[in-house]
Amino acid sequence: MTKTITLLLLLLTTTIGFSQQQINGEITDNNGIPLGGVNVLIRNSSKGTISDFDGKYSLEATAQDTLEFSFMGFRTQLIPVNDQSVINIILIEDSSQLNEVVVTALGIKKEKKALGYAIQEVDGQKLEKAKEPNFVSSLTGRVAGLNIQNSTDLFQDPQISLRGASPLLVIDGIPDRTTDLWKVNSDDIESISVLKGATASALYGSVGRNGAIMITTKKGKKGKLTVTVNNSTMFQTSFIKVPDVQTTYGNGNQGVYAYVNGSGSGTEGGGWIWGPRLDQTDSSTPSGYFETPQYNSEVDPATGELIPLPYISRGADNIENFFRTGLIQTNNVSVDWGSEKASFRTSISNVYQKGIVPNTDLNNTSFNLGGSLNPSENLSINSSLTYNKQYTDNFPEVGYGPTNYLYNLILWTGVDVDIRDLRNYWREGEVGYQQRHFNISYYNNPYFQAYEYQRGYNKDNIFGNLNVEYKLTPHLSLKGRGGANVYSLNRTYKEPKSYIGYGDRSRGDFTVADATYFDITTDVGLKYDNHIADQIGISGELAYVNYYRQSTSHTTGTDGLNIPGFYNLDNNAGATFIASNREEKETIHSFYGFVDFDFYDTFYLSLSGRNDQVSTLPEANNSFFYPSVSASLVFTELLDTPKWITFGKIRGSWSQVSEGKIGNNPYSHIQAYEKGTSWNGVPSTFFGNELLSSDLKPETSDTWEIGLNTRFLNSRLGLDIAYYQTKDYNNLIYSSISQSSGYNSILLNGDEYKRRGIEVVLDGTPIKTKDFRWDAQVNLSQYRRYQEEIYGDREQTDAFIRVGDRTDKIYAGVYQTNEQGQVIFENGYPVSDPYSRFIGYNEPDLTYGVSNTLSYKNISLSFLFDGRLGGLMYSDTNQKMWWGGTSPGTVNQFRDDANNGESTFIGNGVKIVGGSVEYDVNGNILNDTRTYAPNDVPVNYINFMQTTSNGYNKNYHYYKEDFIKLREVTLSYNFTEKIISKLPFSDLSLSFIGRNLWLSSKIPNVDPDPGRDNLQAPATRNIGINLNAKF
Amino acid sequence: MNRFISVLLIFIFPICFNSCSKIEDLQEDPNRATSVSPELLLTNIETRAFDNVSLSSALASRYLSYTNGVNSNQYYNWQRSDFGGYNDLKQVKKMVEESENAGIEVYQILADFFNSYFIIDLTQTFGDVPYTEAILADEDIYQPVYDSQKSIYLKVLNDLKSASDALAVNQEPIAGDIIYNGDKLQWRKLINAYYLRVLMSLSKKVGDTDLNVRSRFQEIINNPSQYPLMTSNSDNGALAYHNIQNNRYPYFNDNDLQTAYYMEQNFVERLQEFEDPRLFAFAERKPNAANAPVNDFNSYGGLKGSEDLNANTSKAVSGEASRIAERYFFDPVNEPSILMSYWEQEFIIAEAAVRSWISIDPQVHYRNGVEASFDFFTTQIPEDYFDNDQISLNGDDEIQKILEQKYISMFMNTGWQIFYEQRRTGFPEFNTDGAGILNNGRIPKRWMYPMDEATNNSANLQDAISRQFAQGDNINAEMWILQ
Repeated sequence: MTKTITLLLLLLTTTIGFSQQQINGEITDNNGIPLGGVNVLIRNSSKGTISDFDGKYSLEATAQDTLEFSFMGFRTQLIPVNDQSVINIILIEDSSQLNEVVVTALGIKKEKKALGYAIQEVDGQKLEKAKEPNFVSSLTGRVAGLNIQNSTDLFQDPQISLRGASPLLVIDGIPDRTTDLWKVNSDDIESISVLKGATASALYGSVGRNGAIMITTKKGKKGKLTVTVNNSTMFQTSFIKVPDVQTTYGNGNQGVYAYVNGSGSGTEGGGWIWGPRLDQTDSSTPSGYFETPQYNSEVDPATGELIPLPYISRGADNIENFFRTGLIQTNNVSVDWGSEKASFRTSISNVYQKGIVPNTDLNNTSFNLGGSLNPSENLSINSSLTYNKQYTDNFPEVGYGPTNYLYNLILWTGVDVDIRDLRNYWREGEVGYQQRHFNISYYNNPYFQAYEYQRGYNKDNIFGNLNVEYKLTPHLSLKGRGGANVYSLNRTYKEPKSYIGYGDRSRGDFTVADATYFDITTDVGLKYDNHIADQIGISGELAYVNYYRQSTSHTTGTDGLNIPGFYNLDNNAGATFIASNREEKETIHSFYGFVDFDFYDTFYLSLSGRNDQVSTLPEANNSFFYPSVSASLVFTELLDTPKWITFGKIRGSWSQVSEGKIGNNPYSHIQAYEKGTSWNGVPSTFFGNELLSSDLKPETSDTWEIGLNTRFLNSRLGLDIAYYQTKDYNNLIYSSISQSSGYNSILLNGDEYKRRGIEVVLDGTPIKTKDFRWDAQVNLSQYRRYQEEIYGDREQTDAFIRVGDRTDKIYAGVYQTNEQGQVIFENGYPVSDPYSRFIGYNEPDLTYGVSNTLSYKNISLSFLFDGRLGGLMYSDTNQKMWWGGTSPGTVNQFRDDANNGESTFIGNGVKIVGGSVEYDVNGNILNDTRTYAPNDVPVNYINFMQTTSNGYNKNYHYYKEDFIKLREVTLSYNFTEKIISKLPFSDLSLSFIGRNLWLSSKIPNVDPDPGRDNLQAPATRNIGINLNAKF
Repeated sequence: MNRFISVLLIFIFPICFNSCSKIEDLQEDPNRATSVSPELLLTNIETRAFDNVSLSSALASRYLSYTNGVNSNQYYNWQRSDFGGYNDLKQVKKMVEESENAGIEVYQILADFFNSYFIIDLTQTFGDVPYTEAILADEDIYQPVYDSQKSIYLKVLNDLKSASDALAVNQEPIAGDIIYNGDKLQWRKLINAYYLRVLMSLSKKVGDTDLNVRSRFQEIINNPSQYPLMTSNSDNGALAYHNIQNNRYPYFNDNDLQTAYYMEQNFVERLQEFEDPRLFAFAERKPNAANAPVNDFNSYGGLKGSEDLNANTSKAVSGEASRIAERYFFDPVNEPSILMSYWEQEFIIAEAAVRSWISIDPQVHYRNGVEASFDFFTTQIPEDYFDNDQISLNGDDEIQKILEQKYISMFMNTGWQIFYEQRRTGFPEFNTDGAGILNNGRIPKRWMYPMDEATNNSANLQDAISRQFAQGDNINAEMWILQ
C-alpha cells in the first residue's frame, strides 16, 4: 500500500517535473464578442479551466501539450502550445449548430440535422436553479407539444401529455415503466430530450408509441476534479389562487343555526352554510350581537343547556391561520472527475419539502454514482447506479371529500367558526374517541386531520444500467446493455376513531400496504458504422432485447381498532383482517434493427424495424412486427438560398407501432372470476362486466410527420415547425354493448381515431452586444383527436361521439330549454333534460410557453410565461360553493328573504302552459307543441340553490380553462474572477428564484393549471434563493 | 483475453434473463380463478337479491321526506333507471354453467328462482325488456330483442312452478347459502310465496286465459303438502346484517339519513290515527318534543312529501319533524333486509280471498300478517288494535285496509314492492296535492329505458317503445300489467 502511494507521488512529481509555462489568452466569437464559459482543456489530461465572463483564461501547460477549446454551439478547436504564452482564439460559431448532437432513442447520439422527426432538448442547467419538487414540473412551457398539468398538492404527480398521449420516461437509455417522476434529482440531469413522435421512439417498441422523455444523467466530464455544491431554498409564502368565499352568512340552514351535538337534524348536523347573517347587532344580548349556541359553548350548570355565544365572523382569515409557509429545500453535492481513460461522478442530493398543511412533509434523497471507462481503445464501459429514497410520515390526502383540507377549512365551514379555536381537537373527556368539531357528521377538524390522520410513504428505489461496447473491427462493434429498476414501497394509513369519510364515521383503522417491483431490460447487438464512399455514410444496429417485469403488492387492514391511537394490526377490533394481494409478471422478447444513411451531409435516410413477442396477449397473436422510415434534407446545401437563410432543412417520417398490452394489467386478456364480498365469513365470487373477444390482436398506430427547421440571420433566429397525424386502429377497446347481453362491454379490436397536431418553436437572440444579450424562445402547440370509425352497428359511442367528431366533446346533464334556449321551469324549479347535451370541448386550442433570458455582464434574468387558451374544465369547487352557500354570489336580497322564510326568487326562464313534446330514442325532438309563459313562480332561494347549484347560469360548472402564468423568474449573479480568486471557489453564482408567481385566468376560485378541479390545495407562490459553488 | 471477457460480459445479460421469462409460462393470471364452484356464485347472487333496503323507495312511497333539495323520487319527476339487473342475471347464468360442470342440479333449480326474481324486477321497472335473447353475449348476441311483458310473466310462472316441483324431490345439499343455510323446505316456501306475489301482481289480468291466474293461485293454496308456504317470520326470505366490514346495514353511519331525511307526514298521521305503536320503532320524537314520553303519539311529526320544499325545510328547522329511529343509522346490524316476508304472503292470501280467487276467510291471514309485522318490529300489538274501524276487516274497503297494513309493514324493507302494490291497487294513497309536486301532479308509472340502450340496441329499443307506448318512452306511460 505504502509502495503504491510512493509510486503515485513519484509519478506526480515526474509530471510536475516537465517545464510548465503560464498560458494566457482571450476567447471571442467572430464578432469579437468575448466568450465566457469556454472549456479549455489540456488534451489527454484531466487538467483544464474555463474562461471567465470577459473571455479570458489562464492555465499552466508544457510546450508539448495541445489545448482543446470547446463550447456549446461552436466548433471545437485544437491548438498546440509550442512556445506560445498568449493564445488568443476566435471560436467559429457552428453556424446553424450544424453538428450539434442530440440524444435519440436508446441513447444513440445523432446529428440534429440528420433527424427526420421532432426532438426538443432542455439543458439540465435550466432545471438547476428554480427548483420544482420533481423535474417534470420544471419542463412546463419549455417544450412545444409537451403539456404538463401541475398539481398544487404535496407529492402528487403532474399530468404529462405529449401530443395528447402519455409518453415513456427513459433514464439513461433504460425505459422506466414505473414512471416515477420523483426518483431522479434534477441536479443529476445533464439534459432532457423529448422525442415527440412515434418514429422518434419507435426503437423502444410499444412503450415508446407515444414519444418519450429521455433523461441523460451526468457522468463526469473530462477535466480537473470539481466539487459542486448547489442549494436552492424556496418558501411558499402566499397563494396565487384561493377559493373566495362569502363572509356574510354562517353555518346553518334556512337562516337558522343552533348547535346541538354536531350531528343533529335540522340546521346544524346537515352541514350547510345557509345560516343566519353574521355580526348582527342585538341590544338584548350581553355581547351586543345575535347569539346562538355553538360548538364551543359552555354548558350552563343550572339548566344543562348550552350558553349562546355571539355569532360573528371570527373565522374570516381561516386560510391564513391554518396553512403555514411551505418550504422546498434542495441540496446537492457532486464530485466530478475525468480523463481520457475514465470519468467519474458521484453525487448526493436531498429535497426536503415542508408542506403548507401542518405536520406534512416529504423527503427525497438520492445517491448517484456514474462513470465511464475506456480501458483499451476498443472497449468502452459506462454505468450508473442510483439509490433513491422517498419518505414521509404524513402527506395530505387529496381529492374532493371530507379527507380534503380545503373542504373542511373553507368550502364547508362558515366563518362563524374560527380555526384557531379548533387547535385542541379532542372532545373533552373523549380523547382518542371523538374529535372536537362544529360538525361531526360530515366534516373533520383540519387540525385533527393533520395530526391524527396519518399517511406514511416509504419508497426505496434502486436503478442503474451498464453499457459495454467492444470494437470487433474498426467498423463493427458488439454492444451490450443492461438496466434494472427495483423498488420496494411501504405505505401506512392511520385513521383515528371518529374520522369522517363519505358516509362513514371511522371506528379507527390501520392499513399497511407493501409493494415490490423489479424490471430488467437487457440488450445485445451489433453496431456497424462506415463511410462506404466519400461523403456517403452508413451505420446501423441489429439487436435482441429482453424485458421482464415482476411486481407484487399486498394490503392488510383492520376492521376497527380496539385501543384508540394504537396503530398495529394486532389491535384489530374485527373478527378478520381486510386483506388482498396481487402478483404480476410480464415479458417482451424483441428484435430490432435500424440502418442510417447519410449522403453529402445533405440528405439523410433512416429505416428501422422491430418485432415484439409479448406475454400480455393470447399466444395466437402475440408476435408482431412494425417498421419506420424517416428522412431529412438540408436544402440550404442544395439550393442557392438567400444569405439571410443560414440553414434550412425539411424532414419527414412515417412509422407504425403496435402495442400488445391491454391497460396496466398484464392479464387483461384472460377472462376469470373476481372475488366478491364475503358475507359473515362465507366467501363469494362474481363474473366481471367485460367480455373478451376470442381473437385479440395488438393495437396499432400509424404516424406520419413533416417538419421544417430553419435558421436565419446568421443563426440569430430559428424556426421549427412540426405537423403530425396519427391513425390509431385495431384499438383494444371495451366496446359497449347492450347491458341486457349480460356485459357492459366487450374487449375487442375496434374503433379508429385520428390524432393530429402542430408544434411551432421559435427562438432567437434579438439583442447581442458585448455586454448584453437577450435570448427568447416561444413554444406553441395544438392537438386534436377525432373519431374515424365506431365499431359495430352504432351511430355513436357511449359518450355520444359520432364519426368525424372531436373525441373531446363534452356532453352533460342539463335542463330542458325551449327553441330560444330559455330554461324551462316547473313549479319554480328547472326541469332536467332526460338526454345529455353537448356543451363544449375539453382540449385547449393552444398551449404556449414563452421564455426569455436577458444577460448583462455577470447578471442574467430569465423568466417564463406559459398557459393554455380554449377548452373547458369542470369545477367541483365552484359547483359546491353555489350549492353549499359559500359563493359570494349568494350574498343577495333573495337569500335574506329566504332566511326570513320568504320565497322570492324567480328563476330566469319559462314555464310550460300547454302542449307536449316527443323525443326519439336519442333525444331529438320529433314533435313539439309546447307553449310557454315566463316563469313566475317564486321559490325559496336557498332551496333553489341546494337543488340546482346555480348550474344553469354557470354553464353547468364547465368553465373556460384559459390562463397565463408567470411560471418562473430567475435572477442570477455570477461572481467575477476578482472576487472568486479571493475565495476557495472556482465558480460561484447566486440566484433569486421564483416559481408560480402570477396567474390570470377565466375560471374563478381555482388554478386551472392542473387541468381539472379536485379541490386541490391552493396554488402557492414559491420564492427563494439558489447558491451554486464549484471548488 | 480482453476480447473474450468483453464478449462474455455482453452476452451474459440476456442469457440470464431470457430463461426466467418464458412467454408461455405467463399465460395464467395468478390473481383470479377461471373456474369456481357454484356455491361461491350463489353467495354473491343472494347478497344481490336480498340486500334491497332503499331510501329512494322510501321517498317515493311516502315513508320519508328529504330536505336537501328537490328530490326526484319524492316529487315524482324521476327519469331513467338502469339495466344493472342483467349483471345479476349473468351471475345466475354463470352459476348454472359451473353447476353443470360440477354435475350438481340444485343450483340450477335455485337459478330458476333467481332468474325469475331479477327479470320481474326489470319488467316492473320498464315494461318490455329483453329476456329470451338476454345474457347471450358469449353467443354473439349483443343486441337482444325485447320480450313482451306478458311472455316474461308466463315464463316466470312456469319456471317458478317447476323450480318448486324440482326442489321437492332434489336430494343434493345447498352450500354457500347465507339465507336459509341450505334448508330446502324453507326455499320451497319462499319460492311458493313468491309465486303468489307474482300472481297477485297480475290482478288486473285475472281474465287472461293464457295466464290462468286464479287457478294457478288455487293450485298452491289447495296443495299445502306439495306447495308448502311460510308459517312464521322464521321463514322470511331475509338477509341478516353483521358488524363486519361490507356486511353492515346499508345506511349505518349515513350522514344524509341522520340530517336530511324526516318521517313523511301522512305516514306518521296514519300511524297516529291507528294508534299504532310501530311508530315508536320507526321514528324519533320531533326535536320540539324531545323530552316528552316515547309512547306519546303527539311527540311525532313529519314533512308532507309533496309539500313545497320551503314549507318543509321551515318546518324541519322549527323542530316539528321526526327523524327516522336512530337504529337505522347507528346500529350496524339493525334489522334484516327482506326479499319476501311471511306477513307479505299472508296479506297476499287475504287479498286473494277478498278478491274471491280462493274460498278462505281473509280475516285469519290478515291478522297473521299484522301480528307478524308487529313481531318483526319487536313491538307489542295493542289488544284492541283490530277494534279500530279503519283496521278491522269488516266488509268495507277490505282491499284498502289490507294494502294499508301491507304498507305499514313494509317500512324500510322489501325494496320497491310497496310502490308497485300502490301502482297496481291505488292503495294506500300517496299524496300529490302539495304545492311542491312536479310531473303535473302524477305519480310516475315506470322509468325510462337507460340512455345507452339508444346507442347499443337502438332498433330493438325503438321497436319496444313504439309497440307499448303511444307517447314514447315516458314515465307516465302504463305498461301491460297495469292495463
